[in-house]
Amino acid sequence: MSQVIESDVCIIGGGISAAMVAERLAERTEASITVVEAGGRTASLEERTATRARMLAYGENPYPNDHIPGQTGTGEMYQSMVLGGAAMHWGGAVPRYSPEDFRVRSLYGVGYDWPITFDDLEPYYQEAEERMGVAGEQGPPEYDPRSKPYPMPPLPLSWNLERMREWTDAAGIPFWTQPWARNTEPWQGRNVCRRCDTCAVCPTGAKYTPDFAFDRLLAAGRMRLHGRTLIRSLDLASGSDRVESATGFHQDAPDQPVEFRARTFVLAAGHSWSSHLLLLSANSRFPNGLANSTDNVGRYMTGHWFASGFIELPMRLYPGIFPNNSLLSHRFASPGPLDRYLRHDIRLWESTVGREARLAADDGRVLWGDEVMADWRARTRSTATARIRSYYDVIPTPESRLTLDSGMRNRHGDPMPRIDYVAGRATLDLEPHTHETLLGRFDELARAAGGRMMSTRASRLFEHPGGGCRMGDDPSTSVVDRWGRTHDHENLFVVGAPTIVSSGCANGTLTFCALSLMAAEEIAKG
Amino acid sequence: MAESRRTFLKQSAATVAVVSLPGCAPTAAERPDALVPATLRAVGEAVLPEELGADGRERSVAAFERWSEGLEPVAEMAHPYLVPETVFTGPDPRPGWAAQLSGLDIESGKRFGTSFAEVGVPERRRILEPHVRRAGPDFGRPENAAHIAVALAAHFFASPIATDLCYGRAIAKQQCRGLAGAGDEPAPLPGAAS
Ligand SMILES: Cc1cc2nc3c(=O)[nH]c(=O)nc-3n(C[C@H](O)[C@H](O)[C@H](O)COP(=O)(O)OP(=O)(O)OC[C@H]3O[C@@H](n4cnc5c(N)ncnc54)[C@H](O)[C@@H]3O)c2cc1C
Ligand code: SF4
Repeated sequence: MSQVIESDVCIIGGGISAAMVAERLAERTEASITVVEAGGRTASLEERTATRARMLAYGENPYPNDHIPGQTGTGEMYQSMVLGGAAMHWGGAVPRYSPEDFRVRSLYGVGYDWPITFDDLEPYYQEAEERMGVAGEQGPPEYDPRSKPYPMPPLPLSWNLERMREWTDAAGIPFWTQPWARNTEPWQGRNVCRRCDTCAVCPTGAKYTPDFAFDRLLAAGRMRLHGRTLIRSLDLASGSDRVESATGFHQDAPDQPVEFRARTFVLAAGHSWSSHLLLLSANSRFPNGLANSTDNVGRYMTGHWFASGFIELPMRLYPGIFPNNSLLSHRFASPGPLDRYLRHDIRLWESTVGREARLAADDGRVLWGDEVMADWRARTRSTATARIRSYYDVIPTPESRLTLDSGMRNRHGDPMPRIDYVAGRATLDLEPHTHETLLGRFDELARAAGGRMMSTRASRLFEHPGGGCRMGDDPSTSVVDRWGRTHDHENLFVVGAPTIVSSGCANGTLTFCALSLMAAEEIAKG
Repeated sequence: MAESRRTFLKQSAATVAVVSLPGCAPTAAERPDALVPATLRAVGEAVLPEELGADGRERSVAAFERWSEGLEPVAEMAHPYLVPETVFTGPDPRPGWAAQLSGLDIESGKRFGTSFAEVGVPERRRILEPHVRRAGPDFGRPENAAHIAVALAAHFFASPIATDLCYGRAIAKQQCRGLAGAGDEPAPLPGAAS
């Protein structure tokens, strides 16, 4: 017999998108909220000092038990399945998308317009920034539009970044400080950043991680958490398209179903597991999966690609002052009219590439003790390295797809997701122009400092992935509406990364959070 | 100066040997993967900068010993970005490193008729050179080092102390320092070459 858990709203997944929805609903409604997370808990804030020390010393994962053996797919996916999701590990870089991202078809004749504009999303961007606590510097308003100031002043530029900004100013490209979900002032009971420089695991709590929000809600009695419980199917009420229940299994009782019943279900399981669960929940009325009457679930999987490089600069920089801060420019994300489509950001960091101590000189001679030091000093006295990287958008295509892989199954026998990311013709046709332009820009920047490019690289990893349940006004080409409500099931919402139309040319998580908050506004209506 | 440091190191190695005389349970120094302190310190004299001085080198070798004691073989590593696979560190390098240390003694005995710790630094470097050459030119992470000499040097040169010495500045990388002062040029180390 299954255990039955009832609530008004059942949120499936316990990552950052879920945290945003749960917080907003808890504050603005009386609804009872259940969060069901497949994974357990990992290192608490108190334990992070110790796990950080081991990460530094031995390269160990600072978040033990943050995944579920056997629950994994193929393709670009996060390994983390844990309360907090991938945003336990994240760096916390939180740029907004640019207004152009939402209108690329109208403005440039490529890709797809979103059903919403930047202005529609702007208040939710602000709200997401306030919930997580974002420290940022207002860039030039035409490239960094916002209706209110950043919640906190920016992280300070290190001495190194100050020198690098002098250089980029001379090159005539506006750069400003990367916005971060890291505190420069005490924020919601969390500490100020102490420049420990291991932001993958922050020992002070200055970096936002979603567990902080869940713990606050749990302490206030505003949500119930069912951890280590994997939802395996969403089930419809008989004779209706409404979702009646979600059936899950606790890791310690794999034969004992737990049935979650709710008025509203929110699928917040991230870019890979959300489409996966919908496909897995196929039934006689929706034989291709829930919310999939038009065969759009799992399609238009997307992300951005990048080109990057290392620049040798004729200046002395001191590595390690604050390498986890960086300079950002969105100048080319809002490029104005274009002959050929290319929009991208530029990010700059200090780097130690080519400036590390080494065992052998260029001629192969082994270096010993003082010689290693002398060689190291000679290579760092008056030269330094900067890392440069540009994300550019990959134009989504329906062939870029998540499917069920019957050859790979979890402990319950469920087929696991397989994601075959594909770049369509439009992106591939533009790729040579894109690379030529980007590498030209990198080179120009290097020369403006009297420096030179040391190396360049082009990556086809689909970064900050999303899609699979894209939003749209037309049910024949989308899975959810602008609020994340599935076209097929009035009480089933999908939030965050899966719902994006395109992934722009900026880190995506802030946008996933803003979209989740926008969905929460609709969900709150009941 | 170098001579007196060697004498000091020999004495401290002898002290360690006395302290670790057999008891009922094997002490850390008696385990098969134990790194013989005298030989390890002799390696330290060959690969660590002399400018550290005897005390500084002793601290660096002791820090390496503590680090190696805490090493956990086949530990889960931080996940690679967007790769749904668990990756692990390698198997325990310490038995191999311990064997290398005794190998250094054997080789030194065959070449020079005495232990590795007894020969001069140039002789030690002659013995170590093929191993170090094979590993270079980059140090890599110490736990991945194929030879104990490279592991010891890699451990030191990756440390905040080494960076500060290289630049002659008090940078204190990866130590929680507060946001104030981030924009300042790091202060010179007293008496440091820069
Ligand atoms: C190392 C690293 C650095 C990053 N840095 C940045 C950065 O600086 N800036 C940025 O914008 N982004 C960054 N990201 C990406 C960012 O972390 C993700 O975009 C974000 O965390 C995604 O959140 P989510 O809520 O959509 O999904 P997830 O974090 O994947 O959360 C989904 C949760 O749902 C759970 N779940 C899934 N299926 C089920 C089910 N069937 N039943 C119950 N629970 C389920 C999962 O266990 C998981 O915990 C980084 C990621 C990594 C790994
Ligand atoms: S630099 Fe700041 S945010 Fe990063 S780990 Fe240190 S305290 Fe945390």
